[in-house]
Amino acid sequence: MDFYYSLAQIIGFHALIGLSAYVVLQTGQVSLAQAGFFAIGAYVAAMLTVLAGWHLVPAMLAAGVAAAVMACIVGFPALRVRGLMLVIATLAFGEAVRLFFFNFDYQIAKGGVKVGPLGGEGFRQIRWFPEHGWTSFDVMLFVWAVVALVAGALWWMDRSRFGAVLRAVGEDELAAQSVGLNLTAVKVAAMTIGGFIAGLGGAIYAHYTTHIEHSNFNVLLATFAIAYPILGGLRNVFGTIVAVIFVQGFLVEGLRFLGDWRNLLFGALIVLAMNLRPNGLIDAATAQRLARLFGRETRRA
Amino acid sequence: MLEVRGLAKRFGGVRAVDGIDFAIKPGEVFGLIGPNGSGKSTTVNLVCGLYEPTAGAILFEGQDIVRVPTHQRLSLGLARTFQNIRLFANLTVWENLWMAENAPAHRTESGFLKRWIGGRGDARDRIAKALEFSGLSHRADDLAGSLAFGEQRRLELARALAAKPKLLLLDEPAAGMNAEEIAQLDERIRALQRQGYTILLIEHHMELVMAVTDRICVLNFGRKIAEGTPGEVQADPAVREAYLGTAA
Amino acid sequence: MGFVDYVQAIIDGLLFGTTYSLIGIGFTLVFGVMHKINMSYAAASLAGAYCGLAGPQLLSLPLWSVFPISIVAAGVIGYLIYLACFRFIPLASPLAPLMSTVGMLLLVDEIVVHATAGMPQNYPAIYDGDPIELGAFILRADLLGVFLISLVAMVVLLLLLYRTRLGMATRAVAQQPVAAQLCGMRLQAVNGLTFVMSGLLGGVAGAMIGASVGMLSPLISGTITVKGLIVTVIGGLGSIPGAIVAGLLVGAAENLFQAMRNVTERDIYVMLLLFVFLVLRPNGLFAAGRGRD
Repeated sequence: MDFYYSLAQIIGFHALIGLSAYVVLQTGQVSLAQAGFFAIGAYVAAMLTVLAGWHLVPAMLAAGVAAAVMACIVGFPALRVRGLMLVIATLAFGEAVRLFFFNFDYQIAKGGVKVGPLGGEGFRQIRWFPEHGWTSFDVMLFVWAVVALVAGALWWMDRSRFGAVLRAVGEDELAAQSVGLNLTAVKVAAMTIGGFIAGLGGAIYAHYTTHIEHSNFNVLLATFAIAYPILGGLRNVFGTIVAVIFVQGFLVEGLRFLGDWRNLLFGALIVLAMNLRPNGLIDAATAQRLARLFGRETRRA
Repeated sequence: MLEVRGLAKRFGGVRAVDGIDFAIKPGEVFGLIGPNGSGKSTTVNLVCGLYEPTAGAILFEGQDIVRVPTHQRLSLGLARTFQNIRLFANLTVWENLWMAENAPAHRTESGFLKRWIGGRGDARDRIAKALEFSGLSHRADDLAGSLAFGEQRRLELARALAAKPKLLLLDEPAAGMNAEEIAQLDERIRALQRQGYTILLIEHHMELVMAVTDRICVLNFGRKIAEGTPGEVQADPAVREAYLGTAA
Repeated sequence: MGFVDYVQAIIDGLLFGTTYSLIGIGFTLVFGVMHKINMSYAAASLAGAYCGLAGPQLLSLPLWSVFPISIVAAGVIGYLIYLACFRFIPLASPLAPLMSTVGMLLLVDEIVVHATAGMPQNYPAIYDGDPIELGAFILRADLLGVFLISLVAMVVLLLLLYRTRLGMATRAVAQQPVAAQLCGMRLQAVNGLTFVMSGLLGGVAGAMIGASVGMLSPLISGTITVKGLIVTVIGGLGSIPGAIVAGLLVGAAENLFQAMRNVTERDIYVMLLLFVFLVLRPNGLFAAGRGRD
C-alpha cells in the first residue's frame, strides 16, 4: 500500500508544478523556470521547519510567498523578451537557481548536530513529517488536499473573467491591448501566481523526500512542468491533471519494469503526442465538445 | 473630438506618415481614404497607440495622448476594429465580448473584484444585449474562430462597442464583404451615428465611403492631399490623380 | 591570480569559444529559416560525437576516423530530428514543435546514457603537440586545433550560404517562406537540408568539445544546451555573425569567471551575463533583419 501512497504523493507534486506552469502558459509565456520556483519553495520551507522550528503549514505558505516574490521579479524582465527568447531566458534562470543551491551552505548546530543545506550534498534531515507522527497515508491526504484546493481555485479562475483575460492575452496580445487589457499586469500576475503554486509544491516535496539537492530541480523537472499543460491542453485545468496522472501513473510507474528506459519513453511519448495532437489532449475544440456533452448550462449567455 | 497635428511616422527610411493634420468633430462620421500605401493603417495604429509617432501630436478631447499606453486608450474612449480581424479565436463569442469590458463605465457598474474575479452572471445582461444588436445571440457559445467571415466582422464591431467608446475606429470594415453585407454595414454605421458615436472610417470601398461619411480626408504617400465633404472630395482633381494616375 | 593568468584564461576561452559559436550558429540557423528552436540540437550534436567513437571502438577504424564519422552522424541525426519534430507537426501551432524537440532532447540524452552505460568516454584530441608560447602566454596546441577547425567549419558554412544555390534558397525561405515557395523552392527540402547543415555543424562542435575536454559525458548536454542558447540569444536570434561573436564572448567570459572564482560558480555568472544582455539589448547584439510578418 505504501507504494501506492508514494505514487499518489508524487502525482500530487507533479500536479502542483504542472498547474503552476498551466497558469503561466495560458498567457502565452512558455516558462522553463517553474522548477526554479519549486526549488525555492523547497529550500525555504525546509529551512523554516528545520532551522527555525516552524509548523509545516505556515512554512509552506511562506515558501509559496517567497517563490511568488521571485516569480514577480522575474516576471518584469520576462516582458521584454518574446516567445522563444523567453523560453531560453527562463531556462537559464532555472539553471541559475539550481546552481545557486548547488553552492549554497547554511548550516547551524541543533542539539549537537549540524543541519541545513550544504552545497552539493543538499539538505538532509527534513523530518517534519516523521517527527510529528504523520504516516504515509496522512501525507498523501495532505498533498491531495492541497492539490484539490489549488486545482479548485484554478478551475474557478478559469471560469471567471480573469481566466478568460489570461487566455485572451495568450491568444492575441495586440488585440488584447486594443481591447483595453493591461498586458504587463496580466502577464506578471500569471507569473506570480504560477510561482506561488510551484513554491507550495516544492515545500511539500521537500518534506516528503526528506533530502533535497540541486539535481532534483533540473531541466527534466522544468520539462515535466510545461509538458503536463501542453500535453493536457491549455483550455482546462483538468487537462493538466489528466496528463500528470497519465504520465506519472502509467508511464513512469506502470512501466516500471522498463526501469531506466522510462525517461526515454517519456521523450518518445512527447514527440509522438505532439505529432498526433499538436494542441494537446483537451484543446479548445475538445473542451467545447466536452462542455456540450455535459450540458454545461452555465455557459449559456 | 480627435485632432491630429503634424503627425509623422518613419520606419527606417520610409516615411509612412509625413506630417498630417485633421480634426474630427463629435458625432460625425469621418472618412480616411487613399490609395494603397498612403498611410491610412499607420495613422490608425498611431492613434490607437500601437505605434509611437516620430513627430506630432494626437489630441483626444483636447488632451495629448501620445504618451498614453495602448491599453489605456480604451479607457479614454477609443475603440477600434482591425483590418484583418483579430478576434480571440479560441475564446467563445460571449467571452470575446466579455473581454472588452474595460472602460470606466464598466468600472462603476461592477466593483473591482467582481470585474476580475467575478463569474459570468454579472455581465450576462449587457452581453446578451450586445449579441442581439449584432445578431449573434445564436452563436454565443461557439468559438470565435469557427464563425463565418461576416459573423466575425460583426463580432469585431460588437467587441469594439462593448467597450462603450466615444470614438470608434473602423479599419476597412467592408473588406471581403459582398454587396448585401455592405448594405447592412452602411445601415449599421448610420445606426451607430444616430446613437451618438463618433466614427473614423478607413475604407477602400468608395461607394460606402461617399454614402455614409460627413467629411473625408484623403491621403497619398503619407500626406494629406484633400479634405472636405464627399461631394467636394469627389470633384477634387488631386484626388482623381492620386487614384487614377492622370487628371481625368 | 595575476593579470597574466586572467589574460591566459581569456585566450583559452576564446579558443574554446568557437565551439560555442558553432552551436549558437546551429540554433540560429534553424531559427532563421523556420522561426523555431530545436531544443535537442546540442544533445544531438554530442550524440553525433559519440557515434564517431563507434569508428575505432566498434569498426576498428583508425583513430582519426572519429571526427568525420561524428560530423556525418550528426548530420543524419539532424535530419531525423527534422522528420520527427518538424516535418509533420503543423508549424503554425505555437507550442507543439517546441515541445516535441524537448521530448527529443530527453530521448537523445537517454539513448546516449544507455548506449554508454552512463560512463564518460574518452575522446581523442585534435593535435597533441607542444603548446606555442607567445611571450608570457601559452596557446595550447589542442585548443588551437579546435579553434582552427571550427573556423574552417564556419567559413565552409558561410560559403555554402552565400555562394551556392542551396544557400540562397535557405536565405530566401528564411526571409519570405511563402514567396520562396511561389518561386518554386520546395519548403520541405530546404527545411530538411537546413537541419542537415546545422547537424553537420553541430557534429563539428560536438567533436571539438570532446577533443578539447578529452572526454564526453552525457552530463554535459544540458549545460551545452543552455550555453548554446545563451550564445544564440546574446548574438541575436537569426544572426550568424552574432552567434560567432557571442560564442567567443561567452567562451572568454566563462573562462574568466572560472579563473576569478571557481568552476562551480562560473555558470551562475554566465546566466547573469544573459540577463544583463536581455535587459540591455533584448534583441541581441545583431538582431536579425525585419521582413517577416
